[in-house]
Amino acid sequence: MSAARNGAADDKVARFLDGVSRNRREILTPEGVLLPVDLADHGERAVALVIDLFIWLCVTVLLYLGIIALIVGGMAAEVAVALILLLAFIVRNLYFVYFELAWQGATPGKWVSGLRVIDRRGGPLTPSAVFARNLTREVEMFLPVGLMVSVGITNSWESLALLVWLGLFAALPMFNRDRMRGGDFIAGTIVIAIPKRALLADLVASRSRYSFSSQQLAAYGAFELQILEELLRRPRSAQTAALLSEVCGKICAKIGWPTPIPAADVVGFLTEFYSAERAFLERERLYGRHREDKNSRLG
Amino acid sequence: MTAPSQDDAVMQEAGTGDGGGASCAAIGGETPPLQPAGFVLRSTEFRRGREQGWRDLEGLLAKAERGGLGALSTEELQRLPLLHRSAMSALSVARAIALDRHLLLYLENLGLRSFLVVYGPRQGILESCREFFTRAFPSAVRAAGIHVLIAFLSIVVGVAAGFMLTVGDESFLAAIVPPDLAGDRGISSTREQLLQHEIFAPWPGFTRSFITFANFLFQHNTLIGIMMFGLGIAAGVPTLMLLVYQGLIFGAFIALHANRDLLVDFLGWVSIHGVTEFGAIILCGAGGLVIAQHILFPDRYSRVDNLAVYGRSASQLALGAVLLFFIAGLIEGGMRQLVSDTAGRFAIAALTAVAWFSYFAFAGRGLKP
Repeated sequence: MSAARNGAADDKVARFLDGVSRNRREILTPEGVLLPVDLADHGERAVALVIDLFIWLCVTVLLYLGIIALIVGGMAAEVAVALILLLAFIVRNLYFVYFELAWQGATPGKWVSGLRVIDRRGGPLTPSAVFARNLTREVEMFLPVGLMVSVGITNSWESLALLVWLGLFAALPMFNRDRMRGGDFIAGTIVIAIPKRALLADLVASRSRYSFSSQQLAAYGAFELQILEELLRRPRSAQTAALLSEVCGKICAKIGWPTPIPAADVVGFLTEFYSAERAFLERERLYGRHREDKNSRLG
Repeated sequence: MTAPSQDDAVMQEAGTGDGGGASCAAIGGETPPLQPAGFVLRSTEFRRGREQGWRDLEGLLAKAERGGLGALSTEELQRLPLLHRSAMSALSVARAIALDRHLLLYLENLGLRSFLVVYGPRQGILESCREFFTRAFPSAVRAAGIHVLIAFLSIVVGVAAGFMLTVGDESFLAAIVPPDLAGDRGISSTREQLLQHEIFAPWPGFTRSFITFANFLFQHNTLIGIMMFGLGIAAGVPTLMLLVYQGLIFGAFIALHANRDLLVDFLGWVSIHGVTEFGAIILCGAGGLVIAQHILFPDRYSRVDNLAVYGRSASQLALGAVLLFFIAGLIEGGMRQLVSDTAGRFAIAALTAVAWFSYFAFAGRGLKP
């Protein structure tokens, strides 16, 4: 219950502050803990793909340069061409498979954009799943591109129809909730984004100059507490300062704080209010009186 | 190492609580000041006790994410699952007692990262290959028996139709066979041309046949095979069409040669590699059909779940077929020109047929995944 609330598929705090929240799914780990995962955006996946294709293109160009070098070096042209073509074929088909196996679900492009391929249900990512999701790339990606070229050249209706039809499969990630492409469906995988998070210091104030009564603290719930936390963690700027003093004014009005807070001490006051509020709400929670937000009843 | 037991202690503490110190609104009613000097929060204490373990785990993860599990020393490898488990249990406790959003997000992120490392792909490429050929591939073929049969029958239907259509009117051949595949074979070919340039063509030399030609054939066939498999996601109709089409081409060529009284020699010329190549085409087609079946008729599960279960074994069919295509390309590009009498070609064809059949029928039986 608390897992669903805090680790929620729906992040209320982020949605309140930024207007949007990331599309989330939950996986159940073997330890029995629900972990929320952020689905990768279309944009992030496109960036990852472009980077991977660029690397692939560079390798292929290098291979073609290799042909020239071999021919200049005196090798029979036919053999050199055949060898290089075989290598290019292997690179094209094994590039994604190799990296997704060796780098735990990330190709270089995914690595740069912070994406990973995982099993949709939270199981281990098996080699057969990696092969499965990359075998259909030929149909989803290389074939439509080739067709596009051929439609441009021959202008034939069959190619155009085929292009539209395959285009629908290529656009599959746009049409489902989990943004899976054909290969993801076959392999049972999803692509997620893993942001890097560092552990910052706790906000709780080390000393207290103000004291709040429990009635004052009962004015708010966990939701407002976490909004306040996010605001206090924002980098200090004129904009943040204005926002904080506005928030400070509202809080003072709500809890009936008698004396006005000097502008220089707004952060200090809010930090202490945050600490007291958190101490109060956490203790209440231990006694089974969790308060979701200011509108829910205490107890 | 002691973290789990610490967590238990916290849980207990959280469960029983200490009724004293906390004066809550329900009991108090009055408004006594809550914080005498400084704040002592259970979640802060909780964090202080475990922070070092999380940071250690973070260090191990950074190492393993960069260089794989192999980058960790034995001692670090032993610590990793312990730290992972204590981080997971810390996450559960934090969700129950802490309202610190940053801490919860951090622990979720840390837990996810360590989950991915601890339960990531275990096998390297070599190990997966060995497992694939000794067990997974043949057992996937056995499991898809009915699909293999359907794919086989589609090709037979195609061959029969192609033969019957072409044997009366050879212009049909030109209509269905793409020119680059037909080469210089066609309606105008005479018996002598076919014999000398095709069936008993002179040995063109090692590099030309084994490297150039075999390579072209392999790439071309593999592309067709992968398409056949991948198009299974389009409900299998294009897969069946491609299968029948392959049969049509073959049947048309049989008719062309039969009309010139070359039936037996042509069959010998084809069968030496054809057994392997058609085997591969059938496997790719069967893979596509498995996928199509589980998209169209998802029995107990949802379509998506069903596909996830069967898609992997279907992809193993296609993957194994790529290897078959490779072998077929080698035989077609080189061996065929080396063995230049029809009886020898039939013998090799029979040998490959027996080899493949017994491999698919018996290999890896009784091995557990």
